[in-house]
Amino acid sequence: MQIKVEDLSYVYSPKTPFEKVALDGVSFTVNEGDTIGIIGSTGSGKSTLCQHFNALIRISHGKIYVGDKDLTARKLDLLALRKEIGMLFQFPEYQLFDDTVAKDVEFGPKNFGYGKEEAARLAEEALVMVGMNYAEVKNKSPFELSGGEKRRAAIAGVIASKPSVLVLDEPTAGLDPIGKREILELVNDLKKSFLKTVIMISHNMDEIAANCNRVIVLHNGKLLYDTTPEQLFSDPEAIAATDLGYPHSVHIKRLLAERGIELDTPALDADSLLAALKRRYSL
Amino acid sequence: MRDMTLGQYYPADSFTHKLDPRVKLLLVIAFIVMVFLVKNLIAYSAIILCVVIGTLVSRIPLIKVLKSIKGIIFLVLFTAVLNLIFHKGETVLWSWWRITISVEGIFFSLKMALRLILLVAGTTLLTYTTTPTGLTDGMESLMYPLKLIKVPTHDIAVIMSIALRFIPILSEEVDKIMMAQKARGASFDTGGIVKRAKALLPVLIPLFVSAFRRADELALALDARCYNATPNRTRYQVMKLSYRDVIAVLGTAVFLVSVIALNMNFWGAYVPPENLWWLFS
Ligand SMILES: Nc1ncnc2c1ncn2[C@@H]1O[C@H](COP(=O)(O)OP(=O)(O)O)[C@@H](O)[C@H]1O
Ligand SMILES: [Mg+2]
Repeated sequence: MQIKVEDLSYVYSPKTPFEKVALDGVSFTVNEGDTIGIIGSTGSGKSTLCQHFNALIRISHGKIYVGDKDLTARKLDLLALRKEIGMLFQFPEYQLFDDTVAKDVEFGPKNFGYGKEEAARLAEEALVMVGMNYAEVKNKSPFELSGGEKRRAAIAGVIASKPSVLVLDEPTAGLDPIGKREILELVNDLKKSFLKTVIMISHNMDEIAANCNRVIVLHNGKLLYDTTPEQLFSDPEAIAATDLGYPHSVHIKRLLAERGIELDTPALDADSLLAALKRRYSL
Repeated sequence: MRDMTLGQYYPADSFTHKLDPRVKLLLVIAFIVMVFLVKNLIAYSAIILCVVIGTLVSRIPLIKVLKSIKGIIFLVLFTAVLNLIFHKGETVLWSWWRITISVEGIFFSLKMALRLILLVAGTTLLTYTTTPTGLTDGMESLMYPLKLIKVPTHDIAVIMSIALRFIPILSEEVDKIMMAQKARGASFDTGGIVKRAKALLPVLIPLFVSAFRRADELALALDARCYNATPNRTRYQVMKLSYRDVIAVLGTAVFLVSVIALNMNFWGAYVPPENLWWLFS
């Protein structure tokens, strides 16, 4: 399923002194199977853009097509759309509310029309998938969990209804390095099962370079680049214009290049950098 | 949620915005007194003029003021209808059981409705033109006499300003939580009253959790900066009276006097013409 964004603009609090143009004529297409990174500095409109995909923000100017659904249509089946496109918010642990973890995770599936037993089964699957001990946590209150566990429970609550597109808004913000890696591994695992398309907002260029096949760069609500990580991170002008910074591996490659050591790799992650070094010195 | 009008500051660079908050508070009190003093329609015209001039010099779009009135329109209609059917008048037009509609009743209910509308329009000018901090600082300063009898006025002011500061934070939080639950298929605008009330639980619980968390964090932050409400704290922004305040006070005084004068029909010096009697009723 393809997501097509055409000339999308959005203004918060229009015609007041608080007026804020958050998106300005953004167009791009997300193909099925893509893992797209959306990057840009704080306030560049990334969250606003993503909240359009499942109609949490209704389109005020422009068009979005999800598959053959037109999101500007008057009669839009919101429930079907939101089941199809799951959305993980920034700090999702703050959306936990029910008295047990299992019930909280069942919330989504139940809303999307699954029966009691089916919902319970989906919740169990999801909790296992995020690496939690189902028997242990199912009757716990979500508020008793540790920070990292809370986030995983919240993620389970989003993936329980098996969306085919997952939008993640800074999924690794505020986690320790191990927690970060676990989340990304989880996303990659999900992509091998029911998940087809991933749209990921991130400030971490390492994550973007290593996981995405395409990147969208937003700057002050405008789309500046729609390209591959390889091209973006080999274009110093683009990086300087958007103050994004390089992934660590690309940074090291550039430092080496300054000292005359050219490597035959875009060096999007540590492994490819290491492999290129080994090749160069025939290790 | 973010479009809450009642008690929201509207930034602009105007005469009224620059007034001392204490003066504005006192002027609003004078205005309220004025609204309750008026008796006849011609005196109302003075107050309407006062509100219009107030709005113009505050550079607030008229639509904003009208919006604040929209919030109480139901209350206005309700009281107007009650006044209309239960006011005892002499010139009865229509009556049935205990309900009478009289000419006096019509005028009375009209005046009461006008009074409510003017009250809200005038007082929202204060909240539109004064920041929450300005309001609480002004109130604290005006509460000075209470401080002399050991009322903790500073604590009260701090509590008020924190509460005011939390309103936009929490409303933003509500937005976020609602979106997150909507993304999980929650719906807040379908079904009957019971269903809708139940649908709010997944919003209210995280909201309370986060409000308590924020309160704890704030308390820690205050402690970490060794905050305590000792007397003689200095201020970042010192309130000072200026020539503007004098102008504002004089201007309001003119209206107050003219309302009283019009109310009393110029101390009886003037007999209203036959065909204009309704203006003076
Ligand atoms: N609910 C809102 N009301 C008003 N302005 C908002 C709201 N949400 C975001 N904005 C503003 O819109 C701009 C884009 O915000 P956002 O999409 O959250 O950016 P990002 O996710 O890239 O940091 C910012 O300037 C932000 O202040
Ligand atoms: Mg954001």
